[in-house]
Amino acid sequence: MFGRTAAQLVREVNNDDQHIRRFNYDLFDKVIAEIQEHFQQVTTIMEKGQEENEDGQITSVDENYNGAVIHHQSILRNKRCLLAYMYHRANRLQRLRWQLGAVLPEDVKGLLHPSEKEFVKSYSEALSSYMTKLDIDLTVDITPPKDPYIQVRVLDNIGEVLLGDQSTSLVRNSIHFVKRSEAETLISQGLLEEFTG
Amino acid sequence: MDSGNGSEDGTPWGRGDGQGDDDDINRDWGHKDIPNDVEVLKRVWRNEKSAPEILAYESLLVERVQEQIANMEENILAAAESLDDMMLSIFEMDVNRLMFLLRAYLRVRLSKIDKFALHIMRTADLWDRLSPQEQEYASKFVDVLSKHMHDSVLGKLEKAYESMMKQAASSEENDMIVEPNLDTYVFCRSKTALGTFQLDDKGDETVDMMPNDLYILRYRPVRNLIETDRIELV
Repeated sequence: MFGRTAAQLVREVNNDDQHIRRFNYDLFDKVIAEIQEHFQQVTTIMEKGQEENEDGQITSVDENYNGAVIHHQSILRNKRCLLAYMYHRANRLQRLRWQLGAVLPEDVKGLLHPSEKEFVKSYSEALSSYMTKLDIDLTVDITPPKDPYIQVRVLDNIGEVLLGDQSTSLVRNSIHFVKRSEAETLISQGLLEEFTG
Repeated sequence: MDSGNGSEDGTPWGRGDGQGDDDDINRDWGHKDIPNDVEVLKRVWRNEKSAPEILAYESLLVERVQEQIANMEENILAAAESLDDMMLSIFEMDVNRLMFLLRAYLRVRLSKIDKFALHIMRTADLWDRLSPQEQEYASKFVDVLSKHMHDSVLGKLEKAYESMMKQAASSEENDMIVEPNLDTYVFCRSKTALGTFQLDDKGDETVDMMPNDLYILRYRPVRNLIETDRIELV
């Protein structure tokens, strides 16, 4: 049936909420091929119509015309589905940029279409340049601050990190009392967790 | 924006009566105007957050707040010796909250730009609402997005179907651009009695706006009231 493959593709991004799945080349290419097929059909029908009406007039009651419309609509539908698929994934990548910072982890990169990698890079550059111009980092402080200080537990051996005006040695499992704004980046990168014991 | 309004309620930021203690602190710290700007920023942020479309950028307000933040940070550093930890942490919290408000305001605008960039760019009225930096960001974003879409999908389609704005070359309008739904409902509150207000063109539907009452109304008829600062969104 026309448009079914594309619908499957869209369902894939709708299903799971936050995760980025591996880019589905298989379905994606199938939909592209379908579009080309539809386009072939439209062209053939139109040409046939031209031949049959020697005087060059195509009447709307022409049976061939209806066939062409269906193929045309299928192309539009498939196009919209493909764009929706890309757009949803792009949105998720944008969110990752906010959470994890400018550099995407390697395992995420492996799931992406080459153009998506390019997109994240350029998006990140545009965002960074905006924040630099205003001299304000917008990716911290996502939740309203309750207390300027929080307790954090270190999840990995990080080594010496400059927190505030002094350098602190972050050893795995050690607990520190730090400024929230300074810890937030490290928390979103999964290096620290808020300690609420 | 006039910073003289917006502090009528008794919030800790308000400059209402019976807050002599606050006034003392403000005098000592030399930022007497903060409560008002904070209050305004808070309202501006809430409006921006609840309105479906992007609102005019409050450039003067943002500048003033940025200045205030810098001042407060300086003051904290200067007084770090003489104050005890408790007071210091309270003042720091003060700065952090203001920073949060400012960031949240800029963030919610960016997220709208991300979502409606194409629409905003093609509507002069909306385009003028952005700050110069936001305009630069928006055009970059549109470039980045269209390049991405062309490289991945559109470039593989036939000429007649490759546009990002139109479904097909035969479409008469740009039927692929996402626009905000201005008929969505918003919670709003009026600061003063606005009298009878007309909600549609025909005048069938009207509402009496009483001060400080909450209303749930369609955004479109009240958008002018927000622009002219007569109601606020919550």
